[in-house]
Formats: sequence, C-alpha cells, structure tokens
Amino acid sequence: MGSTVVELSDVSAVYEGERTPALHNVSLHAERGEMIAIVGPNGAGKTTLLEVINGLLPITEGTVRVLGELVSPRSHRLRREIAYLPQDMFFPPDTPFLARDVVLMGRFAGIGPFRPPRQEDHEQTMQALTAVGAEELSRRPIGRLSGGQQRKVLLARVIARQPRVLLLDEPLTNIDPEAKEDLSCLILKIHRQLGLTTLFVSHESGPLLAAADRMITVVAGRIIARGMTEPQFAKAL
Amino acid sequence: MFGIPLHIVLPTLIGSLLAGMMCSTMGVFVVRMKLSSLGFAMSHAAFAGAALGLLLGAVDPLWMALLFAVLTAMILGPLSEFSRLDADTIIGAIFPLMMALGLIFLSRAPSAGVGNGAMSLLWGSVLGITMNDVYKLALLAIVLLMVLIGCGKEFLAILLDRKLAAASGINTRIYYYLILFLTALVVALSLQITGGLLIYTLMILPASAAYQLLYDIKKVFLLAPLLGALSALLGFFLSLSADLPIGSSIAVMATAIFLASVAGSPKRRRTRIEGNHVTPDQS
Repeated sequence: MGSTVVELSDVSAVYEGERTPALHNVSLHAERGEMIAIVGPNGAGKTTLLEVINGLLPITEGTVRVLGELVSPRSHRLRREIAYLPQDMFFPPDTPFLARDVVLMGRFAGIGPFRPPRQEDHEQTMQALTAVGAEELSRRPIGRLSGGQQRKVLLARVIARQPRVLLLDEPLTNIDPEAKEDLSCLILKIHRQLGLTTLFVSHESGPLLAAADRMITVVAGRIIARGMTEPQFAKAL
Repeated sequence: MFGIPLHIVLPTLIGSLLAGMMCSTMGVFVVRMKLSSLGFAMSHAAFAGAALGLLLGAVDPLWMALLFAVLTAMILGPLSEFSRLDADTIIGAIFPLMMALGLIFLSRAPSAGVGNGAMSLLWGSVLGITMNDVYKLALLAIVLLMVLIGCGKEFLAILLDRKLAAASGINTRIYYYLILFLTALVVALSLQITGGLLIYTLMILPASAAYQLLYDIKKVFLLAPLLGALSALLGFFLSLSADLPIGSSIAVMATAIFLASVAGSPKRRRTRIEGNHVTPDQS
C-alpha cells in the first residue's frame, strides 16, 4: 500500500433527465493494492460510484482522479488501466462470440486503431484463460457457458488486459454457491497477483467481503459509513 | 439472357451481387446492435431523397438519396443515443414523414407519368442500372472492405457489448457513427437495385440468417455477404424469368433463405432442448 490510486473529492452525479443526484458530495480514496467493498441497499448509488470512477458517467461537481489523472467520459486512454465488470453481465445463448475472442477483445484498446491483434495478444489471451482454469472453454460460444463460467471468462479478460484498477459490480450475483466460492478465490488471486486496487460492490457476505481491507456503506447517494469489515472488527477485538 | 442483351443485363447482375454483399454486411451490425429502426428510417429517407432528385431533374437522384440517408443517420444516431425516446417512437415519426415526402416528390416528378424512374426507386429495376452505377458500387465495396479491415477489432468489440468496449478504453462513439455513416452510404447506393421499399430486407434477412446458423461473429461476417449475394442472384434470375420487379424478387429469395436458416438453425434446436430442461453442456 502507499500512493493514492483512486481519489474522489466532493463528487456529485446526476443521471440525465433526473433531478435527484445519484451521488451527493462523495469523497473517497483508495491506495495501491487496497481492496474496498461497497455495500448498501438497491438504488443507493453503488453502481454510479463505480461508473464515475471509470468515467462512463459524467459528474456534475467535484473531481475524480485515477492514477493521478482527472477522469472524464473522454478518458479513453486512462480507461485502459481500469478493468470494469458491469452488473448482470451475462450473455444470452445465441451470442455469436467465442470465449477466447471475448478475452482477446479486452486487449483491443491497447493495440490501437488500424492494427490487427499480434501473436503476443493471442498468447496473453490463452495464458489468462489458463490462469482462471478456463482454457478448455476457449473455443466455446460465450452464451453457451453457465453464469459462473462466463464470469471466469470475463475475469480472464481482466487478466489479459493487465489493468491497475479493478471495478467489480456485484460479481457474484446469479451464480450458484459452489461457483461463488471458486470465483471469490479467483478474484482475490487476481487482486493480489496483479497488485490491483480493487473496488467491488457486493450484497452478500462471504470470503470476498471478508478479505476486503475496508468497507464503505452507500445510502441515497452518500457514503454514510466507513470502516472495517466484520472479520477485521472481530480480529481487532 | 432471357431475350435481353447481355450488356444491359450484366450491370444489373454485378450491381445486384455487390449490393447484396454490402447490404448484408452492414446488416450484421444493424441486427446485432438493434439498429433496425434506424436502418428502416435511413432506407426510406434515401427513397425520399432520390424522389426529390427525380423531381428536381437537374440533380442526380443518387446524390440526393445519399444526402438524405447520411443526414438521417447523422441526426437520428445522436437523437436515439441522447434522447430518451424509444426507437419505435423515432421510426414512428420519421418513417411516415419520409414515405409521404417520397410519394409527394414522385407524384410531382416529370417521370411519374412514364413511371420508369419512379417505379425503379420504389421496386428496383433490372434495366435501370448502368456500368457507371456498378463502378460506384464497386468503389464503395472497396472502401467498406478497407474500413472493415482497418477498424475490424473495434467493431467486433462494440458488437459484443458497447458498454464493455467503452469500459475497456475504446472510443465507441466514433465507431458507432462510422457504422451509421457506412450504412447510409450502402443504403443510398443500393437503392436502385432493390428499390426504397425493399432494400431493408436485403440488409436484415441475410444477416439474420447467418446469425441463426453460426456462433462465431467472424464467420457471420463471411456468411452474411454470401447469403446476401445468393439472395440477389436468385432474385435477379427470378425477376428475369418471371418478369417481376427485381426488388420484390430479391426480397422473396432473401425471405426464403432466412426461413430455411431458421428451420435448420442449431441455435433453435438447442433452445428447444433447453426448454425441456437439458442444459447446454448436456446437449
């Protein structure tokens, strides 16, 4: 841990066509290698928080910095350093993409325009699929995989991209209990091995929440509580 | 060929093949990105533009079709993106307007009485295509191929999921507008082959058929233009042999190919099995 990687100062954000801010004067910082859990009720602004961090949603007040750079919807280059898995990212059965291509596409922005993927990109793709234990799924259509397998492929995409910040929105929802355990371990492994700064939204307790360095609670677009996770609290006692 | 000199038929045959390939290639984007309403509005705008060209007389209908289609793409693209209007609402407003304008222009056009130019705009024409038109289509085909090769990986990332592509650092807006622009060009230049009322089928049906049959988007991009060319080729011969409008004949053939692909689709077979609670892995 050490230098600040993500920094939000008095950030407010309003969705187009709405009057009530989805985020209201939120300030937050995350250090290198830190893992932060974001909890709160439905519609509290947790997803909005992640989307202002990667600049997908413009802010109306305050500043957002990632790796020292100001974030805006035009921060395409900076976004290559930030891996984001949106909520409910499931592909329907007829999706015409193979698993390995989904992973490979994570590297496209880094290759740059008018250049085809290089041998190195294909190798990184296969290595990433192997790292998550999904190499045998590489030639399967993504939509034919189970929810847990699709998440594994998307996590392989994260590894293939080699980002510095990881944002996960409800990474364990709609996954069966066995796969949840497996995916939690995988997320922790990726977080530690790549030395990422990770922020994740979660509704449920489990190994992922227990491993978080900090937990923040968001309600009605405001951070109402900051502190330790339950196991940390117990340990501190 | 069928009693018509080859030098008259050949441009239409080549033009039909090129139009079939290009329309169905853009159809791969239109179908996957659910831009059907935009494509529909563009094709009717191109029709209205070409009709205005006929009315004005001095202006090549093709350029007016291009202008109207591109303007529609450039206006409707941002409108559908930024406004919270439903796509059906947009098409509900644009389609009747463009159709009405097109018919008004045609009714006032000098050729309306004779019907050649007007009818070819509506239904396409076997005899209305010249080698000059074929050269324009061929040039556009080369441009389209170069853009697809140059921007292929970004297009693929957007076709998978636009939000995921944006989150990975791709400037999706530029590529989205490029797709709309190319679609407008292809629609406008292909208008004379199938006519304004049916060009949409050539865009949607071969691409939809390819999606029914394949799980790999790269193969979809190879099969869709082949099915588009096949639709155009079969439609061309049906038109000549039965003395039918070429646009309608191509539409009938494209529909037949689509229905055959639905019947033979592995995706539908698996869906039926899943309906009986067999998971994909078991099938």
